[in-house]
Amino acid sequence: MTDSAIEVENLHKIYRSVFGKKFYALRDVSLTVDRGTIFGLIGQNGAGKTSLVKILLGLSTPAAGSARVLGSSPSDPLIRRRIGYLPEQMRLPDYFRAANFMNYMGRLNGVDSNSLSQRIPELLQRVGLSGVQKPVKDYSKGMQQRLGLAQALVNDPAILFLDEPTDGLDPLGRKDVRDLLAELRAAGKTIFLNSHLLSEIEMVCDRIVILDKGEVKRTATPWEFTRGTGDYVVRLTNANEAARAAAADVLRPMAAFDAEWQGEEIRFRPRDVSHLNLLLDALRRVSVEIESVEPVKLSLEQFFLQVVGN
Amino acid sequence: MFATYSNALHECFSRRVALVLFGVAILVAIGFNAIVHVRGSAQFAPTVLVGTQPSAPAAIVVPSVIESELRATGTLWILLAIFAAAPLLTATLEKGWLEMTFSKGIARWRIFAARLLAGVTLYSFIFALAAFPLATRLWWTTRVPTWQIGVALLVETFSFAALLTVASLVSLSQRGVAVAIIAPVALWILSPLLAERERTFYQLFSSHFVRGIVDWAYRILPKCTELENACVSFIQSGSIGPWWPFWSTGLFASVILGLAFWQLARKSF
Repeated sequence: MTDSAIEVENLHKIYRSVFGKKFYALRDVSLTVDRGTIFGLIGQNGAGKTSLVKILLGLSTPAAGSARVLGSSPSDPLIRRRIGYLPEQMRLPDYFRAANFMNYMGRLNGVDSNSLSQRIPELLQRVGLSGVQKPVKDYSKGMQQRLGLAQALVNDPAILFLDEPTDGLDPLGRKDVRDLLAELRAAGKTIFLNSHLLSEIEMVCDRIVILDKGEVKRTATPWEFTRGTGDYVVRLTNANEAARAAAADVLRPMAAFDAEWQGEEIRFRPRDVSHLNLLLDALRRVSVEIESVEPVKLSLEQFFLQVVGN
Repeated sequence: MFATYSNALHECFSRRVALVLFGVAILVAIGFNAIVHVRGSAQFAPTVLVGTQPSAPAAIVVPSVIESELRATGTLWILLAIFAAAPLLTATLEKGWLEMTFSKGIARWRIFAARLLAGVTLYSFIFALAAFPLATRLWWTTRVPTWQIGVALLVETFSFAALLTVASLVSLSQRGVAVAIIAPVALWILSPLLAERERTFYQLFSSHFVRGIVDWAYRILPKCTELENACVSFIQSGSIGPWWPFWSTGLFASVILGLAFWQLARKSF
Protein backbone atom coordinates (compact mmCIF):
# COMPACT_ATOMS: atom_id res chain seq x y z
CA MET A 1 0.00 0.00 0.00
CA THR A 2 1.42 3.36 -1.02
CA ASP A 3 1.81 6.15 1.55
CA SER A 4 0.21 8.57 -0.82
CA ALA A 5 -3.53 8.97 -0.70
CA ILE A 6 -3.53 10.97 -3.93
CA GLU A 7 -1.01 10.85 -6.75
CA VAL A 8 -1.31 13.19 -9.68
CA GLU A 9 1.19 13.05 -12.51
CA ASN A 10 1.52 15.41 -15.45
CA LEU A 11 -2.17 16.08 -15.52
CA HIS A 12 -3.63 18.16 -18.33
CA LYS A 13 -7.20 19.24 -18.68
CA ILE A 14 -8.23 21.07 -21.81
CA TYR A 15 -11.54 22.70 -22.62
CA ARG A 16 -12.40 23.69 -26.14
CA SER A 17 -14.57 26.60 -27.20
CA VAL A 18 -17.27 26.10 -29.83
CA PHE A 19 -14.72 27.36 -32.37
CA GLY A 20 -12.18 24.76 -31.27
CA LYS A 21 -9.93 27.14 -29.36
CA LYS A 22 -8.09 25.32 -26.57
CA PHE A 23 -8.12 26.46 -22.99
CA TYR A 24 -5.84 24.73 -20.53
CA ALA A 25 -7.63 24.35 -17.21
CA LEU A 26 -4.72 22.24 -15.93
CA ARG A 27 -1.24 22.14 -17.39
CA ASP A 28 1.22 19.47 -16.35
CA VAL A 29 0.03 19.31 -12.76
CA SER A 30 1.85 16.86 -10.50
CA LEU A 31 1.35 16.49 -6.79
CA THR A 32 1.03 13.93 -4.04
CA VAL A 33 -1.00 13.98 -0.86
CA ASP A 34 0.20 11.84 2.02
CA ARG A 35 -2.23 9.71 3.97
CA GLY A 36 -3.47 11.16 7.24
CA THR A 37 -2.71 14.76 6.33
CA ILE A 38 -4.71 17.86 5.55
CA PHE A 39 -3.86 19.21 2.13
CA GLY A 40 -4.84 22.69 1.03
CA LEU A 41 -5.39 23.73 -2.55
CA ILE A 42 -5.47 27.46 -3.15
CA GLY A 43 -5.69 29.60 -6.22
CA GLN A 44 -7.62 32.39 -7.84
CA ASN A 45 -10.96 31.88 -9.51
CA GLY A 46 -10.31 29.96 -12.71
CA ALA A 47 -6.96 28.66 -11.49
CA GLY A 48 -8.06 25.08 -12.14
CA LYS A 49 -8.88 23.98 -8.58
CA THR A 50 -12.36 22.70 -9.39
CA SER A 51 -11.11 20.95 -12.53
CA LEU A 52 -8.51 19.13 -10.45
CA VAL A 53 -11.01 18.14 -7.76
CA LYS A 54 -13.49 16.91 -10.37
CA ILE A 55 -10.84 14.69 -11.94
CA LEU A 56 -9.94 13.30 -8.52
CA LEU A 57 -13.61 12.49 -7.92
CA GLY A 58 -14.09 10.80 -11.28
CA LEU A 59 -16.49 13.51 -12.43
CA SER A 60 -14.21 14.60 -15.21
CA THR A 61 -11.54 12.96 -17.31
CA PRO A 62 -8.09 14.44 -17.98
CA ALA A 63 -6.76 15.11 -21.47
CA ALA A 64 -3.41 13.61 -20.45
CA GLY A 65 -1.61 12.42 -17.36
CA SER A 66 -2.86 10.29 -14.53
CA ALA A 67 -4.69 10.74 -11.26
CA ARG A 68 -4.83 8.00 -8.66
CA VAL A 69 -6.79 8.06 -5.46
CA LEU A 70 -6.00 5.41 -2.84
CA GLY A 71 -3.92 3.69 -5.47
CA SER A 72 -6.64 3.37 -8.10
CA SER A 73 -8.43 5.39 -10.70
CA PRO A 74 -11.24 7.53 -9.27
CA SER A 75 -13.46 6.37 -12.12
CA ASP A 76 -13.79 3.09 -10.21
CA PRO A 77 -17.01 3.25 -8.14
CA LEU A 78 -15.50 0.97 -5.50
CA ILE A 79 -12.76 3.51 -4.87
CA ARG A 80 -15.31 6.30 -4.70
CA ARG A 81 -17.04 4.43 -1.89
CA ARG A 82 -14.03 5.39 0.23
CA ILE A 83 -14.27 9.06 -0.69
CA GLY A 84 -16.36 11.78 0.91
CA TYR A 85 -17.10 15.00 -0.92
CA LEU A 86 -18.62 18.30 0.02
CA PRO A 87 -19.15 20.39 -3.12
CA GLU A 88 -19.00 24.15 -3.03
CA GLN A 89 -22.47 24.54 -4.45
CA MET A 90 -25.05 22.06 -3.22
CA ARG A 91 -28.51 21.74 -4.63
CA LEU A 92 -30.56 19.76 -2.19
CA PRO A 93 -33.90 18.52 -3.53
CA ASP A 94 -36.85 20.05 -1.69
CA TYR A 95 -38.42 16.81 -0.52
CA PHE A 96 -35.50 15.68 1.65
CA ARG A 97 -35.17 15.92 5.39
CA ALA A 98 -31.76 15.60 6.98
CA ALA A 99 -32.03 11.92 7.93
CA ASN A 100 -33.40 10.61 4.64
CA PHE A 101 -30.94 12.74 2.69
CA MET A 102 -28.10 11.23 4.69
CA ASN A 103 -29.58 7.80 4.24
CA TYR A 104 -29.71 8.23 0.47
CA MET A 105 -26.14 9.50 0.29
CA GLY A 106 -25.00 6.56 2.40
CA ARG A 107 -26.88 4.02 0.30
CA LEU A 108 -25.31 5.44 -2.87
CA ASN A 109 -21.98 4.64 -1.26
CA GLY A 110 -23.05 1.11 -0.47
CA VAL A 111 -23.33 1.61 3.31
CA ASP A 112 -25.64 -0.97 4.86
CA SER A 113 -28.80 -0.02 6.75
CA ASN A 114 -27.49 -1.04 10.18
CA SER A 115 -24.42 1.14 9.89
CA LEU A 116 -26.51 4.01 8.61
CA SER A 117 -29.01 3.81 11.45
CA GLN A 118 -26.11 4.15 13.87
CA ARG A 119 -24.01 6.66 11.96
CA ILE A 120 -26.63 9.16 10.81
CA PRO A 121 -27.76 10.32 14.29
CA GLU A 122 -24.11 10.53 15.41
CA LEU A 123 -23.11 12.65 12.45
CA LEU A 124 -26.15 14.91 12.66
CA GLN A 125 -25.35 15.49 16.30
CA ARG A 126 -21.70 16.15 15.46
CA VAL A 127 -22.62 18.90 12.99
CA GLY A 128 -25.31 20.36 15.23
CA LEU A 129 -28.35 19.25 13.26
CA SER A 130 -29.67 16.66 15.67
CA GLY A 131 -33.42 17.00 16.16
CA VAL A 132 -33.92 19.34 13.19
CA GLN A 133 -37.04 18.02 11.50
CA LYS A 134 -37.80 20.64 8.88
CA PRO A 135 -37.25 19.95 5.18
CA VAL A 136 -33.80 20.84 3.88
CA LYS A 137 -35.33 23.46 1.59
CA ASP A 138 -35.98 25.51 4.73
CA TYR A 139 -32.39 25.27 5.93
CA SER A 140 -30.18 28.31 6.14
CA LYS A 141 -26.95 28.34 4.14
CA GLY A 142 -25.01 27.43 7.28
CA MET A 143 -27.30 24.49 8.05
CA GLN A 144 -27.03 23.23 4.49
CA GLN A 145 -23.27 23.43 4.78
CA ARG A 146 -23.34 21.42 8.01
CA LEU A 147 -25.56 18.84 6.38
CA GLY A 148 -23.24 18.70 3.39
CA LEU A 149 -20.35 18.04 5.69
CA ALA A 150 -22.26 15.29 7.49
CA GLN A 151 -23.18 13.55 4.22
CA ALA A 152 -19.53 13.65 3.16
CA LEU A 153 -18.72 11.62 6.26
CA VAL A 154 -21.59 9.16 6.12
CA ASN A 155 -19.51 6.41 4.50
CA ASP A 156 -16.61 6.89 6.95
CA PRO A 157 -14.34 7.86 4.06
CA ALA A 158 -10.59 7.42 3.93
CA ILE A 159 -10.31 10.65 1.94
CA LEU A 160 -12.45 13.71 2.31
CA PHE A 161 -12.65 16.39 -0.40
CA LEU A 162 -14.01 19.62 1.00
CA ASP A 163 -14.76 22.54 -1.27
CA GLU A 164 -15.18 25.73 0.77
CA PRO A 165 -16.33 23.83 3.89
CA THR A 166 -16.70 26.96 6.04
CA ASP A 167 -18.68 28.89 3.45
CA GLY A 168 -21.79 30.33 5.08
CA LEU A 169 -20.74 29.37 8.60
CA ASP A 170 -20.45 31.82 11.47
CA PRO A 171 -17.16 32.03 13.45
CA LEU A 172 -18.31 29.36 15.90
CA GLY A 173 -19.31 27.11 13.05
CA ARG A 174 -15.92 27.62 11.44
CA LYS A 175 -14.21 26.64 14.65
CA ASP A 176 -16.40 23.51 14.81
CA VAL A 177 -15.26 22.61 11.31
CA ARG A 178 -11.61 23.17 12.19
CA ASP A 179 -12.00 20.99 15.27
CA LEU A 180 -13.70 18.31 13.19
CA LEU A 181 -10.90 18.38 10.63
CA ALA A 182 -8.35 18.00 13.40
CA GLU A 183 -10.29 15.02 14.78
CA LEU A 184 -10.45 13.42 11.37
CA ARG A 185 -6.74 13.89 10.81
CA ALA A 186 -6.06 12.36 14.21
CA ALA A 187 -8.22 9.41 13.12
CA GLY A 188 -5.95 8.92 10.10
CA LYS A 189 -8.21 10.43 7.46
CA THR A 190 -6.79 12.35 4.54
CA ILE A 191 -8.42 15.70 3.85
CA PHE A 192 -8.19 17.64 0.62
CA LEU A 193 -9.28 21.17 1.31
CA ASN A 194 -10.14 23.70 -1.38
CA SER A 195 -10.87 27.14 -0.01
CA HIS A 196 -10.55 30.82 -0.65
CA LEU A 197 -10.31 31.46 3.08
CA LEU A 198 -6.54 31.44 3.31
CA SER A 199 -6.53 32.04 7.06
CA GLU A 200 -8.52 28.79 7.49
CA ILE A 201 -6.12 26.92 5.23
CA GLU A 202 -3.16 28.32 7.10
CA MET A 203 -4.58 27.16 10.41
CA VAL A 204 -5.38 23.56 9.53
CA CYS A 205 -3.32 22.38 6.57
CA ASP A 206 -0.15 20.31 6.72
CA ARG A 207 0.73 21.05 3.14
CA ILE A 208 -0.43 23.59 0.60
CA VAL A 209 -0.34 23.90 -3.17
CA ILE A 210 -0.76 27.19 -4.96
CA LEU A 211 -2.35 26.72 -8.35
CA ASP A 212 -2.28 29.55 -10.86
CA LYS A 213 -3.57 29.47 -14.43
CA GLY A 214 -3.69 25.69 -14.31
CA GLU A 215 -0.11 25.25 -13.11
CA VAL A 216 1.35 24.36 -9.73
CA LYS A 217 3.27 27.44 -8.63
CA ARG A 218 4.42 26.39 -5.19
CA THR A 219 4.10 23.43 -2.85
CA ALA A 220 5.14 23.74 0.77
CA THR A 221 4.06 23.53 4.34
CA PRO A 222 2.26 26.58 5.78
CA TRP A 223 5.34 27.16 7.94
CA GLU A 224 7.56 27.33 4.86
CA PHE A 225 5.17 29.75 3.23
CA THR A 226 4.87 32.00 6.23
CA ARG A 227 8.29 31.67 7.84
CA GLY A 228 10.12 34.82 8.88
CA THR A 229 10.93 37.52 6.39
CA GLY A 230 14.13 38.29 8.30
CA ASP A 231 12.66 41.43 9.82
CA TYR A 232 12.04 41.87 13.53
CA VAL A 233 9.76 44.21 15.39
CA VAL A 234 10.90 45.37 18.82
CA ARG A 235 8.05 46.92 20.79
CA LEU A 236 8.98 49.32 23.61
CA THR A 237 6.89 50.80 26.39
CA ASN A 238 8.68 54.17 26.59
CA ALA A 239 10.42 54.95 23.36
CA ASN A 240 11.95 58.30 24.42
CA GLU A 241 14.72 60.25 22.75
CA ALA A 242 17.40 58.34 24.70
CA ALA A 243 16.06 55.04 23.39
CA ARG A 244 15.98 56.32 19.81
CA ALA A 245 19.53 57.59 20.12
CA ALA A 246 20.76 54.33 21.63
CA ALA A 247 19.11 52.35 18.89
CA ALA A 248 20.56 54.61 16.23
CA ASP A 249 24.04 54.17 17.72
CA VAL A 250 23.74 50.40 17.40
CA LEU A 251 22.08 50.33 14.03
CA ARG A 252 24.26 52.90 12.24
CA PRO A 253 27.60 51.05 12.33
CA MET A 254 25.86 47.83 11.31
CA ALA A 255 24.46 49.48 8.24
CA ALA A 256 20.91 48.54 9.09
CA PHE A 257 19.59 51.24 6.83
CA ASP A 258 16.14 49.77 6.58
CA ALA A 259 15.38 50.22 10.29
CA GLU A 260 12.33 52.34 10.83
CA TRP A 261 10.37 53.65 13.78
CA GLN A 262 6.66 53.16 13.90
CA GLY A 263 5.38 54.80 17.10
CA GLU A 264 6.63 52.68 19.97
CA GLU A 265 8.02 50.01 17.65
CA ILE A 266 11.23 49.69 15.77
CA ARG A 267 11.29 47.38 12.75
CA PHE A 268 14.60 46.35 11.26
CA ARG A 269 16.44 43.52 9.60
CA PRO A 270 19.48 42.34 11.58
CA ARG A 271 22.33 40.56 9.82
CA ASP A 272 22.18 37.86 12.46
CA VAL A 273 20.93 37.13 16.00
CA SER A 274 23.94 38.81 17.65
CA HIS A 275 23.01 42.00 15.87
CA LEU A 276 19.53 41.75 17.34
CA ASN A 277 20.99 41.19 20.82
CA LEU A 278 23.27 44.19 20.44
CA LEU A 279 20.23 46.34 19.81
CA LEU A 280 18.41 44.91 22.82
CA ASP A 281 21.48 45.48 25.04
CA ALA A 282 21.77 49.08 23.90
CA LEU A 283 18.10 49.69 24.63
CA ARG A 284 18.38 48.15 28.08
CA ARG A 285 21.39 50.30 28.87
CA VAL A 286 19.24 53.41 28.54
CA SER A 287 16.56 51.80 30.76
CA VAL A 288 14.02 51.28 28.01
CA GLU A 289 11.44 48.62 28.77
CA ILE A 290 11.15 46.07 26.00
CA GLU A 291 7.63 44.76 25.68
CA SER A 292 8.20 42.22 22.94
CA VAL A 293 10.54 41.09 20.20
CA GLU A 294 8.83 39.36 17.27
CA PRO A 295 10.04 38.06 13.97
CA VAL A 296 7.95 39.43 11.10
CA LYS A 297 6.13 36.67 9.20
CA LEU A 298 4.20 36.74 5.97
CA SER A 299 0.59 35.73 6.20
CA LEU A 300 -0.46 33.07 3.74
CA GLU A 301 -2.49 35.71 1.95
CA GLN A 302 0.57 37.94 1.52
CA PHE A 303 2.59 35.00 0.29
CA PHE A 304 -0.16 33.95 -2.07
CA LEU A 305 -0.38 37.46 -3.53
CA GLN A 306 3.37 37.48 -4.02
CA VAL A 307 3.29 34.15 -5.83
CA VAL A 308 0.40 34.89 -8.17
CA GLY A 309 1.93 38.23 -8.98
CA ASN A 310 -0.57 40.67 -7.60
CA MET B 1 -29.66 0.77 -7.49
CA PHE B 2 -32.79 0.14 -5.42
CA ALA B 3 -31.87 3.13 -3.20
CA THR B 4 -31.74 5.36 -6.26
CA TYR B 5 -34.97 3.92 -7.59
CA SER B 6 -36.84 4.44 -4.33
CA ASN B 7 -35.41 7.93 -4.02
CA ALA B 8 -36.45 8.73 -7.60
CA LEU B 9 -39.94 7.44 -6.84
CA HIS B 10 -40.04 9.62 -3.77
CA GLU B 11 -38.96 12.61 -5.83
CA CYS B 12 -41.36 11.76 -8.62
CA PHE B 13 -44.34 11.35 -6.34
CA SER B 14 -43.44 14.56 -4.51
CA ARG B 15 -43.67 16.66 -7.65
CA ARG B 16 -46.77 18.78 -8.02
CA VAL B 17 -47.31 17.62 -11.60
CA ALA B 18 -47.45 14.01 -10.38
CA LEU B 19 -50.02 14.92 -7.75
CA VAL B 20 -52.10 16.63 -10.46
CA LEU B 21 -51.86 13.47 -12.57
CA PHE B 22 -53.05 11.33 -9.68
CA GLY B 23 -55.98 13.68 -9.22
CA VAL B 24 -56.87 13.52 -12.91
CA ALA B 25 -56.52 9.73 -12.93
CA ILE B 26 -58.87 9.41 -9.96
CA LEU B 27 -61.38 11.75 -11.60
CA VAL B 28 -61.20 9.73 -14.82
CA ALA B 29 -61.76 6.51 -12.88
CA ILE B 30 -64.75 8.04 -11.08
CA GLY B 31 -66.10 9.41 -14.37
CA PHE B 32 -65.97 6.05 -16.17
CA ASN B 33 -67.53 4.29 -13.22
CA ALA B 34 -70.30 6.87 -13.10
CA ILE B 35 -71.37 6.39 -16.74
CA VAL B 36 -71.18 2.60 -16.77
CA HIS B 37 -74.03 0.73 -15.06
CA VAL B 38 -74.47 -3.01 -14.60
CA ARG B 39 -77.91 -4.56 -14.32
CA GLY B 40 -78.51 -8.17 -13.59
CA SER B 41 -80.66 -10.66 -11.78
CA ALA B 42 -80.59 -14.29 -10.77
CA GLN B 43 -82.58 -15.34 -13.85
CA PHE B 44 -80.92 -13.19 -16.51
CA ALA B 45 -77.36 -12.61 -17.59
CA PRO B 46 -76.07 -9.20 -16.56
CA THR B 47 -76.42 -6.32 -18.95
CA VAL B 48 -74.37 -3.19 -19.11
CA LEU B 49 -75.49 0.37 -19.87
CA VAL B 50 -73.03 2.97 -20.99
CA GLY B 51 -74.43 6.47 -20.51
CA THR B 52 -77.70 6.80 -22.40
CA GLN B 53 -77.02 3.85 -24.73
CA PRO B 54 -79.43 0.92 -24.59
CA SER B 55 -78.30 -1.88 -22.36
CA ALA B 56 -76.65 -4.90 -23.95
CA PRO B 57 -75.28 -8.25 -22.76
CA ALA B 58 -72.20 -7.82 -20.65
CA ALA B 59 -70.18 -10.30 -22.72
CA ILE B 60 -70.48 -7.93 -25.67
CA VAL B 61 -70.31 -4.56 -23.96
CA VAL B 62 -67.53 -5.10 -21.42
CA PRO B 63 -64.69 -5.52 -24.00
CA SER B 64 -65.98 -2.43 -25.81
CA VAL B 65 -66.02 -0.43 -22.61
CA ILE B 66 -62.46 -1.48 -21.76
CA GLU B 67 -61.35 -0.66 -25.29
CA SER B 68 -63.01 2.77 -25.11
CA GLU B 69 -61.37 3.41 -21.80
CA LEU B 70 -58.01 2.50 -23.26
CA ARG B 71 -58.55 4.67 -26.35
CA ALA B 72 -59.73 7.59 -24.27
CA THR B 73 -56.99 7.57 -21.68
CA GLY B 74 -54.15 5.19 -22.57
CA THR B 75 -52.16 7.46 -24.85
CA LEU B 76 -53.24 10.57 -22.98
CA TRP B 77 -51.38 9.26 -19.96
CA ILE B 78 -48.28 8.88 -22.06
CA LEU B 79 -48.36 12.56 -22.91
CA LEU B 80 -49.08 13.66 -19.36
CA ALA B 81 -46.59 11.31 -17.73
CA ILE B 82 -43.79 12.63 -19.94
CA PHE B 83 -44.31 16.01 -18.32
CA ALA B 84 -43.85 14.40 -14.92
CA ALA B 85 -41.07 11.94 -15.77
CA ALA B 86 -38.73 13.96 -18.01
CA PRO B 87 -37.78 16.38 -15.20
CA LEU B 88 -36.63 13.36 -13.19
CA LEU B 89 -33.93 12.78 -15.78
CA THR B 90 -32.87 16.39 -16.20
CA ALA B 91 -32.81 16.89 -12.41
CA THR B 92 -30.15 14.17 -12.21
CA LEU B 93 -27.79 16.45 -14.06
CA GLU B 94 -28.46 19.66 -12.18
CA LYS B 95 -25.33 21.41 -11.02
CA GLY B 96 -24.81 21.00 -7.31
CA TRP B 97 -26.65 17.69 -7.27
CA LEU B 98 -24.81 15.69 -9.89
CA GLU B 99 -21.50 16.42 -8.14
CA MET B 100 -22.90 14.86 -4.99
CA THR B 101 -24.42 11.79 -6.58
CA PHE B 102 -21.94 11.04 -9.38
CA SER B 103 -19.02 11.28 -6.96
CA LYS B 104 -20.50 8.45 -4.89
CA GLY B 105 -19.60 4.79 -5.17
CA ILE B 106 -22.13 3.89 -7.81
CA ALA B 107 -21.91 3.83 -11.59
CA ARG B 108 -23.60 6.79 -13.25
CA TRP B 109 -25.71 4.64 -15.51
CA ARG B 110 -27.29 2.95 -12.51
CA ILE B 111 -28.47 6.28 -11.15
CA PHE B 112 -29.85 7.26 -14.53
CA ALA B 113 -31.48 3.88 -15.17
CA ALA B 114 -33.13 3.92 -11.75
CA ARG B 115 -34.64 7.32 -12.45
CA LEU B 116 -35.82 6.18 -15.86
CA LEU B 117 -37.43 3.21 -14.18
CA ALA B 118 -39.11 5.49 -11.65
CA GLY B 119 -40.60 7.52 -14.50
CA VAL B 120 -41.93 4.34 -16.09
CA THR B 121 -43.37 3.28 -12.73
CA LEU B 122 -45.14 6.61 -12.45
CA TYR B 123 -46.80 6.04 -15.82
CA SER B 124 -47.90 2.51 -14.93
CA PHE B 125 -49.27 3.71 -11.63
CA ILE B 126 -51.34 6.49 -13.21
CA PHE B 127 -52.61 4.17 -15.91
CA ALA B 128 -53.59 1.56 -13.34
CA LEU B 129 -55.20 4.16 -11.10
CA ALA B 130 -57.40 5.36 -13.96
CA ALA B 131 -58.20 2.07 -15.68
CA PHE B 132 -58.23 -0.71 -13.10
CA PRO B 133 -61.17 0.34 -10.91
CA LEU B 134 -63.71 0.06 -13.75
CA ALA B 135 -62.12 -3.10 -15.15
CA THR B 136 -62.19 -4.69 -11.69
CA ARG B 137 -65.77 -3.60 -11.05
CA LEU B 138 -66.96 -4.95 -14.41
CA TRP B 139 -65.26 -8.27 -13.86
CA TRP B 140 -66.64 -8.49 -10.30
CA THR B 141 -70.23 -7.69 -11.28
CA THR B 142 -70.45 -9.44 -14.67
CA ARG B 143 -67.73 -12.12 -14.44
CA VAL B 144 -66.70 -11.17 -17.98
CA PRO B 145 -62.87 -11.33 -17.99
CA THR B 146 -61.19 -7.92 -18.04
CA TRP B 147 -57.64 -8.99 -17.30
CA GLN B 148 -56.69 -7.88 -20.81
CA ILE B 149 -56.38 -4.38 -19.41
CA GLY B 150 -53.32 -5.66 -17.55
CA VAL B 151 -51.71 -6.67 -20.84
CA ALA B 152 -52.65 -3.28 -22.26
CA LEU B 153 -50.93 -1.68 -19.29
CA LEU B 154 -47.72 -3.58 -20.05
CA VAL B 155 -47.80 -2.70 -23.74
CA GLU B 156 -48.54 0.98 -23.14
CA THR B 157 -45.82 1.11 -20.49
CA PHE B 158 -43.42 -0.33 -23.03
CA SER B 159 -44.45 2.38 -25.47
CA PHE B 160 -43.96 5.05 -22.81
CA ALA B 161 -40.55 3.68 -21.83
CA ALA B 162 -39.40 3.88 -25.45
CA LEU B 163 -40.37 7.55 -25.57
CA LEU B 164 -38.70 8.24 -22.23
CA THR B 165 -35.38 6.87 -23.50
CA VAL B 166 -35.43 9.73 -26.01
CA ALA B 167 -35.86 12.17 -23.11
CA SER B 168 -32.90 10.55 -21.37
CA LEU B 169 -30.62 10.97 -24.38
CA VAL B 170 -31.74 14.54 -24.99
CA SER B 171 -31.30 15.53 -21.34
CA LEU B 172 -27.61 14.62 -21.56
CA SER B 173 -26.87 16.96 -24.41
CA GLN B 174 -28.53 20.13 -23.15
CA ARG B 175 -29.59 21.80 -19.92
CA GLY B 176 -33.17 22.40 -18.96
CA VAL B 177 -36.24 20.27 -19.20
CA ALA B 178 -38.01 21.82 -22.20
CA VAL B 179 -36.29 19.87 -24.98
CA ALA B 180 -36.38 16.68 -22.91
CA ILE B 181 -40.18 17.01 -22.92
CA ILE B 182 -40.59 18.28 -26.47
CA ALA B 183 -38.57 15.47 -28.11
CA PRO B 184 -40.65 12.49 -26.88
CA VAL B 185 -43.89 14.43 -27.28
CA ALA B 186 -42.92 15.17 -30.88
CA LEU B 187 -42.33 11.47 -31.51
CA TRP B 188 -45.65 10.66 -29.87
CA ILE B 189 -47.43 13.16 -32.15
CA LEU B 190 -45.54 11.89 -35.18
CA SER B 191 -46.41 8.26 -34.52
CA PRO B 192 -50.01 8.24 -35.87
CA LEU B 193 -48.98 10.46 -38.79
CA LEU B 194 -46.27 7.99 -39.77
CA ALA B 195 -48.58 5.02 -39.25
CA GLU B 196 -51.02 6.61 -41.70
CA ARG B 197 -48.30 8.03 -43.94
CA GLU B 198 -50.10 7.18 -47.19
CA ARG B 199 -52.89 9.50 -46.11
CA THR B 200 -50.69 12.13 -44.50
CA PHE B 201 -47.14 12.61 -45.76
CA TYR B 202 -47.70 11.00 -49.16
CA GLN B 203 -50.46 13.54 -49.82
CA LEU B 204 -48.01 16.34 -49.10
CA PHE B 205 -44.90 15.03 -50.85
CA SER B 206 -44.73 13.36 -54.23
CA SER B 207 -40.93 13.06 -54.19
CA HIS B 208 -39.74 9.47 -53.90
CA PHE B 209 -36.77 10.68 -51.91
CA VAL B 210 -38.93 12.39 -49.27
CA ARG B 211 -41.29 9.44 -49.14
CA GLY B 212 -38.28 7.19 -48.68
CA ILE B 213 -37.19 9.29 -45.72
CA VAL B 214 -40.70 9.11 -44.27
CA ASP B 215 -40.71 5.34 -44.70
CA TRP B 216 -37.36 5.03 -42.92
CA ALA B 217 -38.52 7.32 -40.14
CA TYR B 218 -41.54 5.08 -39.71
CA ARG B 219 -39.39 1.97 -39.57
CA ILE B 220 -36.96 3.43 -37.05
CA LEU B 221 -39.09 5.49 -34.66
CA PRO B 222 -41.26 4.07 -31.85
CA LYS B 223 -44.64 2.82 -33.02
CA CYS B 224 -46.93 4.11 -30.29
CA THR B 225 -50.01 3.99 -32.51
CA GLU B 226 -49.42 0.40 -33.60
CA LEU B 227 -48.79 -0.62 -30.00
CA GLU B 228 -52.08 0.90 -28.93
CA ASN B 229 -53.81 -0.85 -31.82
CA ALA B 230 -52.25 -4.11 -30.63
CA CYS B 231 -53.80 -3.53 -27.18
CA VAL B 232 -57.21 -2.90 -28.73
CA SER B 233 -56.88 -5.98 -30.89
CA PHE B 234 -55.98 -8.02 -27.85
CA ILE B 235 -58.96 -6.75 -25.86
CA GLN B 236 -61.37 -7.39 -28.76
CA SER B 237 -60.10 -10.68 -30.11
CA GLY B 238 -57.44 -11.98 -27.75
CA SER B 239 -54.88 -11.64 -30.54
CA ILE B 240 -52.01 -9.22 -30.23
CA GLY B 241 -51.52 -8.82 -33.99
CA PRO B 242 -48.19 -8.35 -35.75
CA TRP B 243 -45.14 -8.36 -33.50
CA TRP B 244 -42.86 -6.16 -35.54
CA PRO B 245 -43.97 -2.88 -33.87
CA PHE B 246 -42.84 -4.46 -30.61
CA TRP B 247 -39.40 -5.51 -31.61
CA SER B 248 -38.69 -2.46 -33.75
CA THR B 249 -39.74 -0.18 -30.88
CA GLY B 250 -37.68 -2.29 -28.48
CA LEU B 251 -34.68 -2.05 -30.77
CA PHE B 252 -35.10 1.71 -31.01
CA ALA B 253 -35.33 2.05 -27.21
CA SER B 254 -32.31 -0.22 -26.67
CA VAL B 255 -30.12 1.72 -29.09
CA ILE B 256 -31.16 5.09 -27.68
CA LEU B 257 -30.66 3.91 -24.10
CA GLY B 258 -27.28 2.43 -25.00
CA LEU B 259 -26.25 5.74 -26.57
CA ALA B 260 -27.46 7.62 -23.48
CA PHE B 261 -25.49 5.39 -21.11
CA TRP B 262 -22.41 5.55 -23.31
CA GLN B 263 -22.58 9.33 -23.44
CA LEU B 264 -23.21 9.50 -19.70
CA ALA B 265 -20.19 7.32 -18.94
CA ARG B 266 -17.76 9.37 -21.02
CA LYS B 267 -19.13 12.81 -20.26
CA SER B 268 -17.00 15.17 -18.18
CA PHE B 269 -19.00 17.26 -15.77
